[in-house]
Amino acid sequence: MEAKQKTWFQKFRQQRAIQAFVWAGMIYLVIFNLIPMFGLIMGFKDYNISSGIRGIFTSEWVGLKYFKEFVTDYKFGRLVRNTVALSVLKIIFSFPLPIIFALMVNEIHNLKFKKVLQTCSYLPHFISWVIISNIAYQFFSQAGIINTLLQTLHITGGPVGFLTDPGKFWGLAVFLDVWKEMGWWTIIFLAAITGISNDYYEAAQIDGASRMQRIWYITLPCIKSTIVVVLIMTMGNLFGGGLSGSNFEQSYLLGNSLNAATSDIIQTYVFDVGLSQGRYAYATAVGLIQSVISVILIFVSNFVSKKLAGSGLF
Amino acid sequence: MKAKLISGKRRRSREDWIMDSVIYVLAVIILFMTLYPFYFVFMLSFNEGMDSSLGGIYWFPRKFTLVNYGKFFNDLKWLRALLVTFLRTLVGTALGVAFTTLVAYALSFKDLVGRKAYMTFVIICMYFSGGIIPYYTLLRTLHLLDSFAVYVIPGMLSLFYITIGRTFFEGIPASLRESAKIDGAGELTVFARIIVPISKPFMATLALFTGVGHWNNWYDSTFFIKTKTLRTLPYLMMEVINQNQAPSDLNAASHMGTNTTTLSVQLAAMVISVLPIIFVYPFLQKYFVTGMMVGAVKE
Repeated sequence: MEAKQKTWFQKFRQQRAIQAFVWAGMIYLVIFNLIPMFGLIMGFKDYNISSGIRGIFTSEWVGLKYFKEFVTDYKFGRLVRNTVALSVLKIIFSFPLPIIFALMVNEIHNLKFKKVLQTCSYLPHFISWVIISNIAYQFFSQAGIINTLLQTLHITGGPVGFLTDPGKFWGLAVFLDVWKEMGWWTIIFLAAITGISNDYYEAAQIDGASRMQRIWYITLPCIKSTIVVVLIMTMGNLFGGGLSGSNFEQSYLLGNSLNAATSDIIQTYVFDVGLSQGRYAYATAVGLIQSVISVILIFVSNFVSKKLAGSGLF
Repeated sequence: MKAKLISGKRRRSREDWIMDSVIYVLAVIILFMTLYPFYFVFMLSFNEGMDSSLGGIYWFPRKFTLVNYGKFFNDLKWLRALLVTFLRTLVGTALGVAFTTLVAYALSFKDLVGRKAYMTFVIICMYFSGGIIPYYTLLRTLHLLDSFAVYVIPGMLSLFYITIGRTFFEGIPASLRESAKIDGAGELTVFARIIVPISKPFMATLALFTGVGHWNNWYDSTFFIKTKTLRTLPYLMMEVINQNQAPSDLNAASHMGTNTTTLSVQLAAMVISVLPIIFVYPFLQKYFVTGMMVGAVKE
């Protein structure tokens, strides 16, 4: 035992330069990631910001006071509903559409056009939500292009309040999420499709399979494992907004006092009560509820992933 | 093989014909829907602001002008924001790439004492966080709030790229390092002279993604900065939306004496903010598929 410990220590000393790099990283993580995790206990405490980080540990315990306060808040119901609704809608639309688009792109035989289509479809992924929201304000405002078009074609009588009507926010958010991220997530599915051996298709062609049949019986089954992996990643970030995690940015940038009834989510509420109103302990407690649900989802996804795809996230 | 398949494709059946038509039509619609909004903003930024607010412009500027850009470049507020954004992107990317690469490289050593524990810790930090409020408290305690450092220090270590980088560095043969060490080089020299030159694909990917992230970030300027002179370009663009809660107001605020409006200058700012991304886009494209694939396989 002693000899082993000595070699362990000797080895450590031998690699001290490398260990120094590692420790620089680990200390950084302790400060910027681990300490905030411990900071979560302030959700159970009567915390005052002026006491700084130390105050997290020294302030009075108040138990579940803030949790009870949030659950009985009049906004509770709508915050939970909006968070869940936006997340689920994004899974329903933002997840399958890249797969369909990938199948479609794969069927294009004009290589130049295919390349142009792909290149352009990734572009919005790299543009920030601030700019996308600005563009959305241009297009969907009362006098914007979309409303002009709808009225010219006599689809609607008057302008539609896409940005102000609470009934339109979910649709708008999901549409913009798909618009921005569809091309990007297509990459991963297209790469999987490219990996499928040509032999399958040739054999199917000889057997007289139609193109639709080839897609349905060869392409889709062959990329099944990729689909499962991406779906699991999406589930792990369900309440962040799935694939692209866009819930917060969308609600913050596109939400306003007029559509608040459907655009307020738990995350924006945390920012509002925490950073704007300065109710740190309460906001932490609210955030913690979502974090706990997310952690459970990550573990469940990981478990399912290990069962279905053979490998998990960790 | 592939060529044979394509040339071997017999007469196009009716099904082929219908499918191709549907696919190409859809593809053109998607292409148009993706590109037109960008074109629209670009085109409208060259139109006189007051005239734009009347609407009805879809394809070409009605009253062509460069005054929106003139206004942008003559306004200290926008110029300063542009400079801050540029600086944070530059400094943030340099620091982020250096630190992340170094840690990822160190963690790639197979005989590293405590390697498993380190990696477990990294993974825990990657998936779990304390949330925004404890994080804010931390930044406050560290006196990072309301300083330029808040842009570049907290995001220095990208955990996702540590896992990718580690896999990348594991692929480098150990003999390469050892030969240099026999010649008496220290670990840092080995890293700088041997590892960095052959890690260009990884570092380029990391730099591009970190850089775009910094350039686009509106979040920390919004929540962690109060000093007006430290605002970033994305923040200012965000502010315009937030101030005009009722979107139709966007057009109303005209500037006295000029033909620009808040909106028309905003459009110029948007174009200026998107241009660098379009510029690095070809490079991004070269690397991102590999970058993303490695991550996907890992996960």
